[in-house]
Amino acid sequence: MTTNLAEPNKRARFVPGQPDMWVFVLFETLVFAAYFSFYLFYRARSPELFLHSQAQLDLRIGVFNTLILLLSSWSVARCVQSSRAGAYQAALRDVFITASFAAVFLFLKVFEWVRLVRTGNGLDSTEFFSYYFFLTGIHFIHLLIGFIVLGAVVYQLRSPARRSQELVETCATYWHTVDFLWVLIFALLYVVR
Amino acid sequence: MTPTASPATPPPGPLHHRIAWHLRHNPKRELWLAWWTLVVFYNLFFPVFFLITRVQPPPQPAADLATQVQWFHDRHLGLLAGFAIIFLVAGMVPVNNALIAYSMRRMSVSPVFAYSYLIMYSLSAIPGLLLLCIALTVGALRPEREPRLIGWIYDFAFLSYTGTMGVFLIGSLVWMLAILLDKNRVFPKWFGYLNLCNGLTEVVVSPCWIFRRGVLAWNGQIAWWLDVVVFGIYTVVFIVLLRRMIQREDFGTGPLPDLAPEQKGKRSEIEAAA
Amino acid sequence: MKFNKRLLVVWLILASLTLTYLWIDQSANGSLRSSEIVTSSVIVIALIKVRIIFREFMEVRQAPVLLCRLTDAWVVLIAVALLGSYFIGTAIR
Repeated sequence: MTTNLAEPNKRARFVPGQPDMWVFVLFETLVFAAYFSFYLFYRARSPELFLHSQAQLDLRIGVFNTLILLLSSWSVARCVQSSRAGAYQAALRDVFITASFAAVFLFLKVFEWVRLVRTGNGLDSTEFFSYYFFLTGIHFIHLLIGFIVLGAVVYQLRSPARRSQELVETCATYWHTVDFLWVLIFALLYVVR
Repeated sequence: MTPTASPATPPPGPLHHRIAWHLRHNPKRELWLAWWTLVVFYNLFFPVFFLITRVQPPPQPAADLATQVQWFHDRHLGLLAGFAIIFLVAGMVPVNNALIAYSMRRMSVSPVFAYSYLIMYSLSAIPGLLLLCIALTVGALRPEREPRLIGWIYDFAFLSYTGTMGVFLIGSLVWMLAILLDKNRVFPKWFGYLNLCNGLTEVVVSPCWIFRRGVLAWNGQIAWWLDVVVFGIYTVVFIVLLRRMIQREDFGTGPLPDLAPEQKGKRSEIEAAA
Repeated sequence: MKFNKRLLVVWLILASLTLTYLWIDQSANGSLRSSEIVTSSVIVIALIKVRIIFREFMEVRQAPVLLCRLTDAWVVLIAVALLGSYFIGTAIR
């Protein structure tokens, strides 16, 4: 899986990052698909209850959070490209941009949670909110791990002795997974009727 | 230069002769004994928990006292006999942990990983396994006990078994970190990430302290069923990978060599003898 | 840099797909009614976004064919699981 540093158009097909990380991505996606399936099944069984609780959510914050996380995916993809082209300072800048977007996401998430709990919609208030806090909670943990992963990228990019392109791509692959899982979670919790 | 252990060949003969030869001469006999202990333990654990005692799948947290008493009554003999077996073979668990810790010692990372894993998992067997067995045996011993006490035992057993995932979670993370940092290629990196998946499904079990019904209760589809499926896959995978590790073992300190094609042939011989 | 522009365009597409949710919410506004059409289209749009993320951000477009097929298969699998659970749940209400 060596990355050819020639023009991307002429580059042979390559697996981005370690194939091992892709095993994780696919497996974890299956696990989340199972969570989502349970949620949708039980939601379909009692739609009014779920709708009523869902109305307590603010769609705008959800949309904003989604856009922010998509931006973080954009910046980490840019980082991979900069690093591939040897522009390590630009790549490092992109990592910090990614981390900033993620921090905004986390902050807004906690703000949302606090607001919901204060208005009496806690983890054990209704079935909808059990799923809500469970899914956003487990996603939050994935995002926190994402910070460690970004740290690994920074560590790699800092010193000329390291700078393993494969590792940078591996970490980026993890980050994008956290992003697309959120895309699904957002759609299912905030928008589905 | 790290010395490589040459795979010796047992003389041809009947199975028990070859097994005896391996026990006396195979340099990896302790590793194989540990591995077979692991296999035997899990082959006992699943039938005992699922078929004999029938404590898995777990009963409902929301059941009323009469149902709980009935639950004990239905399983009276199974609980006593099944857990008697577990108490006899519980000593196999440290051997399992030792083999996994050995895999970390073979890695290029600090021995701290192996030792912390060993300590964590040895301690975690108490809430994670033994407390349930002891509590349910106590509950089954005197069926005429007051129902409220039986109810207490019921809650205590299942909460301690399912709810104390924290130690297992941290242990998984320790193994994951060791695998990802390892330069000796003892395990493939995807197994390191599988540890993360397993750990994350264990995190998901912790809400069972709050919920008495639904998917996140201790018998819920997410907190139990999905967790068991992932854990089952994970266990089968690590048993296979540990076997491969022992086959590849050269007792050196450098990268573990891959299984050579001729070793794969020998492997079936050793497997048959072991 | 040519490639950064492509990434930006990708983000704009993903962002506009996200914003269509606001439009869907507006058109269903006020009425707290469950709608199978809304749910199905929301899920499909989400999966389109996931596939775009796979192909563009995660560079599956330039990956070996096996990975392309696997990720596409996964998108289909998720679609089947999600829509399946939803419709089965609706049916045995």
